[in-house]
Amino acid sequence: MEPAENSGRERILARIRSALRETAPKHAAATSSGPVFAPISDPLDRFQKECALNNTECVIASDLRASASAIAQVLASIPPGEIFLQDAPSLRRMAPLWQEGRSIRWSSEGGPAESSQATITCAETLVAQTGSVFVSASCGGRGASVVAPVHIVVATMDQLVVDLDGAFARLRDLGSPAKNSMLCLITGSSRTADIEKIIVMGAHGPRRLVVVLAWQPDESARS
Amino acid sequence: MSTPAQEFLRSAAIKSADLEHRRTIRAGIDHYEAAVDRAGARFLDWEAARQRLHEIKWEAVNHLDRYLLEFEMRVKERGGHVYWAETAEDARQYIADLAAQRGVRTVVKSKSMVTEEIDLTHTLEKKGVTVFETDLGELIVQLRNEPPYHLMTPAMHLTRAEIAKLFGEKFGGVESDDPQHLVAVARRALRKAFFSAEMGVTGANFLVADTGMIALTTNEGNGRLGSSLPRIHVAVAGIEKVIPRMEDLALIWPTLARSAVGQSIACYNTLIGGPRTASEPDGPEEFHLVLLDNGRSELLADSEQRDVLHCIRCGACLNVCPVFRKVGGHSYGTVYGGPIGSVLMPHLGGLSKYQHLSFASSLCGACTKACPVKIDLHHHLLHNRRNAVQSTERPASERLAFRLWSWAMMGERRFALLGSAARVLLRGVQALGLARTPLDPMRPWTEVHAAPAIPKKSFRALWREQHGAS
Amino acid sequence: MEQRRKRIGAVENLKETCPETMHNGQPMQTIALFIPCFVDQLNPAVGIDMARVLRRIGYAVRFPEAQTCCGQPAFNSGYWHEARPVAERFVRVFRDADAIVCPSGSCTTMVRNFYPELLAGTPILAEAKSVAARVYECCEFLIKIAKVTDVGASFPHRVTYHDACHALRELHLKQEPRELLRHVRGLEVVEMPYCEECCGFGGTFATKFPMISSAMGETKSINVEASGAEYVTSTDSSCLMHIDGILRLRKSSARTIHVASILAQTALPSENASISTVAERTR
Repeated sequence: MEPAENSGRERILARIRSALRETAPKHAAATSSGPVFAPISDPLDRFQKECALNNTECVIASDLRASASAIAQVLASIPPGEIFLQDAPSLRRMAPLWQEGRSIRWSSEGGPAESSQATITCAETLVAQTGSVFVSASCGGRGASVVAPVHIVVATMDQLVVDLDGAFARLRDLGSPAKNSMLCLITGSSRTADIEKIIVMGAHGPRRLVVVLAWQPDESARS
Repeated sequence: MSTPAQEFLRSAAIKSADLEHRRTIRAGIDHYEAAVDRAGARFLDWEAARQRLHEIKWEAVNHLDRYLLEFEMRVKERGGHVYWAETAEDARQYIADLAAQRGVRTVVKSKSMVTEEIDLTHTLEKKGVTVFETDLGELIVQLRNEPPYHLMTPAMHLTRAEIAKLFGEKFGGVESDDPQHLVAVARRALRKAFFSAEMGVTGANFLVADTGMIALTTNEGNGRLGSSLPRIHVAVAGIEKVIPRMEDLALIWPTLARSAVGQSIACYNTLIGGPRTASEPDGPEEFHLVLLDNGRSELLADSEQRDVLHCIRCGACLNVCPVFRKVGGHSYGTVYGGPIGSVLMPHLGGLSKYQHLSFASSLCGACTKACPVKIDLHHHLLHNRRNAVQSTERPASERLAFRLWSWAMMGERRFALLGSAARVLLRGVQALGLARTPLDPMRPWTEVHAAPAIPKKSFRALWREQHGAS
Repeated sequence: MEQRRKRIGAVENLKETCPETMHNGQPMQTIALFIPCFVDQLNPAVGIDMARVLRRIGYAVRFPEAQTCCGQPAFNSGYWHEARPVAERFVRVFRDADAIVCPSGSCTTMVRNFYPELLAGTPILAEAKSVAARVYECCEFLIKIAKVTDVGASFPHRVTYHDACHALRELHLKQEPRELLRHVRGLEVVEMPYCEECCGFGGTFATKFPMISSAMGETKSINVEASGAEYVTSTDSSCLMHIDGILRLRKSSARTIHVASILAQTALPSENASISTVAERTR
């Protein structure tokens, strides 16, 4: 599989270059260069509305401590069994509230087990336009957001951006594309419409997606 | 051994008369159109979205070498491999060899038209590799040993009862035909495969040049599992799939979702760049991107139809096509069906073999209107027809007929004379009760229509009577 | 002679009953009638009716007898080499026309949208584009150029409109025919389900793929019936001939009639066709 064995490469490139000597027509712009999507005046409101539409549970908490309690409540509704956590300082601090009768596997040990009941991760950014969560491989790895039936995302309000343009700008600022081998925009729980075009929630990915959104990281951050 | 054209005619005749099929498709399409309308409310200016998408793809395709080279460089920087395959054989051989060399026994595969195009599954199975289709619709048709019915919804021609019966036979543990339950059955059955497979194969909706990542869109999460759990990830994509910038996806993702299934956006829009990095907890150790030519560079050279390569494989053209609604997805007999298939197949598979698909259209233009990247689909059907006449063996009777037609139309007196003669003939056929018999020159028409009233006088004759010669 | 006098008198009468005949302060153009080949030979009443309507609203009309066909049948079948001389001839026949009006969306489309491509690289291209800029489908002309919505018509029936594909998607006509129908006295417009879906005629498509074509026509006919309309109308008599043949095969009570023929109908007995000629128009 080494380049030396890929003689087709040069031939394909030669054919492409030869083909492109002739220009192809472009449709003349019939419309203005104005906005394609309606402007969003209240991002949080939009985010919550979109979550309701795409079956994402959105919980607002005052700070991360309150988030931890909220997550404990979600875990209480899930069958007993191992949960998988992204090994991040914030989650390490919150984890004691979740250890009641459960084993925790950290992402520093590897990917989630097949039998994990839930995964808990951070996110790169949240997107109001579509009610989405942008995760990366830094958020506990690739499997963290897809293996278990429940995925819980811990986020803070400063992570919420207005639209997809803003999301990509945020990712660039964070250096996410360069640092990660995977980025994923998650919108709602997994689903399929392959049977009679009827939407069924919970296909191969999680059945439940829970976003716990704290106004600020901690109480003392209030200015 | 019948030709693709004969097969198409046969299947089209059967399906067009199948009222149950018509009902099933109509219900599915109604659902789709309602969803598209709802998703459309999110766009202030849908036409602007289409125009911009067209411009993005135009830029990519018309600078294809530049963007492909940038993409390849960045994939390699991430530790991935890029293989350029000239033909379908080339591509599947590379993947089969890779599987053999790495001791792959099980492959999990997510939905990818291009892997159908190169017939990957059969190739791997012949080498003793077990291949699991993990997209629910693809899984269903795989179990039935059928090709996919539709670009986006491979099993839309089946009812839940039929699917329940199928799952019961293949998996067991089926208690009802409730779609929720059936999905759970499929999930259980495939999970074992996901966790044990050595190789995951996916397609790629887009190849993002400036970050060296592939963009993969799914709703089910099967593409995510398939590119996360197995130790080798192979992605296959046509060379035309490249886009210049990651930021282009901010427009592409919502537009694709609306056109494809009437969603605001798909559930999982993933960007994958190479194998796992050293600091990541999981993910494949190897990443291979197979770039497929297989006739695309020739289509690129056709500057009139180059925009066919802008296709983002959303399937909207199939959904709005009145011919598709009658003949169904299987009648086309090709990997790509519907309007895009009718335009594309002559280029990928030869004009002689596939021109009939370009003729099997009333040129209504619904496809062109629906296409989110503004491909001139129905005009390209005309172009293919012209090319077919110029470069292949059309029936001699047809060539003669149009030469005669051309001669007749070059003079008003001969046109009027021939017109009169034709009307006299048709009136005679009707009067003698010969309509619908082999002696009826309008038989293809009169077989399926009540015979039309043939007027005694033409317009020009009436006008002359009323106004004198002009 | 008696006939002619009666006809002229009738036209004058109509001018009085239609106070909205337009005067946009410009001298009336003479309209050159573009009568498609199949209208000429198989649906002549449509051409007669269109001329009648144009005269009624004050235009002079002439019929350039030298015309034959726009070339579309050959063009659509891929025989561009055979279509080209026919198209060039069309351009020459109509080169001096002020305005060219045609009772067919598909033929108008051929000249306006496809002549530039078909005649690219030929010496007649510039002239072809000039002719293309002067050709109009009938409803389009009435609404956009003559700027009339009420042509003094009367047709007290329930009517549904079939959006012929070229008129809809190539000429972008959707409201224009409906606007004209809404101003016809006694006429009730009812929409049918899937009114924009192709009827399945498609020219040679109907003879090459009759089973698909007739299945599409069957769906269209069922939708016409579902609308509860007595008549289905359209800008294209090729579509109507196809739909008509299937409606009658289904023993449907609905009948087809071209928009121009509806617009030609008036409340005046002398101008109005008798039942038998209405039947000729509507089959």
